[in-house]
Amino acid sequence: MNEYIKELHMKKQIVLAVLLVLLGSVTAFAAGTKEEADNDGQKQITLTAYMQIDPADDQYRGHNEIMKQFAEEYPDIKIDVEYANGEAFHQKFQAMAASKQIPDIFTCYTGARSAYINETGLVMDLNKVGKFTDAYKAQFNDGTFTAQGKNGEIWVIPPSFAVCHTVYANDALLKKLGLSYPKTFEEWKAQVPAIRAAGYYPVSMGNKDPWVVNSWLLSLFVDRMGGPQWFMDAAQGKNGASFDDPQFVKAIDIIKQMCDAGMFSPGVNQMSNTEADQEFYQQKSVYLVDAGWRTSGMDSQLSDQMKKDVSMNVFPEISGEVTHNTSTSTPSEGFGLNANLKGDKLEAAWTFINYYNGEKGAAIRAKYGEVPSYKLDLSKVAMAPMQAKFATFQATHKMGYVFDSVMNGEGVTLLNNDLQEMMLGKGKSPKEIAEKYEIWVAANDTNRSR
Amino acid sequence: MIDIRQKKRSYFALLMPAFLVYISIIIFPILMSFGLSFTKWKQFKMVGFVGISNYVNILKDPVFQRAIWNNIQIMLVSVLGQIPLGLLLAYLLYRKWVKGTKFFEMMIFLPITISSIVVALLWNRVFSPVGLYTSFIRQVTHNPDYVVTISESPRFAMIPILIVLLWQYTSLYMVIFLANLQRIPESVFEAATIDGAKESTIISHIVLPELTGVIFTCSVLAISGSLKSFDLVFAMTGGGPVNYTTVMALYLYQQTFTFSNYGYGSAVSIIIVILSVGLISLSNRLYARAQKSIN
Repeated sequence: MNEYIKELHMKKQIVLAVLLVLLGSVTAFAAGTKEEADNDGQKQITLTAYMQIDPADDQYRGHNEIMKQFAEEYPDIKIDVEYANGEAFHQKFQAMAASKQIPDIFTCYTGARSAYINETGLVMDLNKVGKFTDAYKAQFNDGTFTAQGKNGEIWVIPPSFAVCHTVYANDALLKKLGLSYPKTFEEWKAQVPAIRAAGYYPVSMGNKDPWVVNSWLLSLFVDRMGGPQWFMDAAQGKNGASFDDPQFVKAIDIIKQMCDAGMFSPGVNQMSNTEADQEFYQQKSVYLVDAGWRTSGMDSQLSDQMKKDVSMNVFPEISGEVTHNTSTSTPSEGFGLNANLKGDKLEAAWTFINYYNGEKGAAIRAKYGEVPSYKLDLSKVAMAPMQAKFATFQATHKMGYVFDSVMNGEGVTLLNNDLQEMMLGKGKSPKEIAEKYEIWVAANDTNRSR
Repeated sequence: MIDIRQKKRSYFALLMPAFLVYISIIIFPILMSFGLSFTKWKQFKMVGFVGISNYVNILKDPVFQRAIWNNIQIMLVSVLGQIPLGLLLAYLLYRKWVKGTKFFEMMIFLPITISSIVVALLWNRVFSPVGLYTSFIRQVTHNPDYVVTISESPRFAMIPILIVLLWQYTSLYMVIFLANLQRIPESVFEAATIDGAKESTIISHIVLPELTGVIFTCSVLAISGSLKSFDLVFAMTGGGPVNYTTVMALYLYQQTFTFSNYGYGSAVSIIIVILSVGLISLSNRLYARAQKSIN
């Protein structure tokens, strides 16, 4: 009996020892690899990065080339990138922010969408980086470094500008119908019967996700009817301006007028962006309301003839408008740095974002059609046809604010839902929508409490 | 000899790891959510306790009321649609009333093996304004403006989603019922047939009593699954147009992760837990009653 107990005891000890060894090895491996490893005898700095980029998307061919080029030119800096997209990106990033464990480099918006990261003290104010001097800033186009934080902080270097309003027109179809790009909104509405009689849909737009009508149309109408100063006043509640002012009501009313005139193709509120694009690409519609960045997709999907036929325009003149021939844009998502970076790691991270946004990165991105914020002589870059049109478009149009990049997301979502309901022919009038939105903004929007 | 105390100690030691895991991933988050549900958040910071006002505001919010109603519709389709249909299909296949039962078993089971995101994309390709069905109807009726208008109706916008849910999940219940039907000895059916029992008698006196427990389990699965419906709705409509197809989980997601209203979102999650527990308890009672009446 005693021997049996002894044997049992020994077995227990062996099991315990094995468990301890396993636990020890798991702990050792979980601790991760060293941050700095030797590479051919050279000290290598490893940076972690989290980017809202889809490397498989044609739109990011420039990004892929930059990453490859950077790795070749700077073998002493290793960037461990994790990619994610859309809501999944933000959701994970919010969790990282909540646990205060964010990567060294990350993509980040300048406005409200990234407030969870750039208003929580986790992002470095680039003004504090020694190399971010006035001479450095002067290499970029005007408007690149307007204040991003409430105390004038700069969280990111926007690599380009996101143009959120364009009216693409199929000029060949217009010619076939005996029409030309309208000069006024009234003229545009008057084209609808002729276009429909010929079996085409007038305007494609994918408003299944209701932010589309806000980003691509309402922002423009607010700029045209109120102007940038009125908009900022209304956002901040200054100089007696508010969102129940006639300027905002008129802006909403133009969307209603477009619906009432039958300008959109049927099911506009059930159609995704991709579906709307395809409708236009297949020449079922004459116009497409979309963002400027769609040109990269057009270059890869349209026939050579159609690339020649499609022109980029802005919404025609609207009666009573205070700004003319404008589009809207916002600094695009750029790279931010972890506020805790210092020493060699900060130096390495700055080298990367400088490379990406500076001359070399800008030239590569321009080659793939992006119009960079860095001052670059685009005439020396061989651009794809639609991208070249996009570059001209940006150079020839003034840009107003993008509404949903300024106002708080929750209120914008309420507004978008009301706009979509109005577009379905139900719900509230433009005035009621404006009044409801103003009540929300007055009570909740952080632009008012600043 | 091992005494009772030693026994108890070893039981406790063996239970401890599982218990700790359960506490940390189930109990702790629920308690944490419960605590957070009484707080208000602004600019990603907790700004104070607000008592039950989150709960009051949620219940008053017409969007949440619509979400509850949409979840109820999903639950009704699950309990009164998927389960009976699954049982019917399982019975048809079990009794071999159709030829090629193996083929049908496989075909009916197929939808459940496909990811909800793929299912949503697939059906969107059918019913969207540029989809197959819409294009076909436009061709046939010579109406270029035709679209599936029920998707734009506040009353009926859920119907396409309910159809897809019925198509996708009926097969799960069919397989469960089929497996349980195969446990009933064939001799029972033979004896009943020899005694001259009609099919309806076989169903009501043999099949249903034998499957009561399984039906209850399926109902619990259907109810809990319905209340946490998210992926298919998110991928198919995103809750739109407007909020016509929003569900509670989507509302919770939007409040918590898009608007960063962590306190409000926690209150929504607690309401979902209460509703789940309440409805499952109710079905438990109904099951007990059904058992009693059968006995």
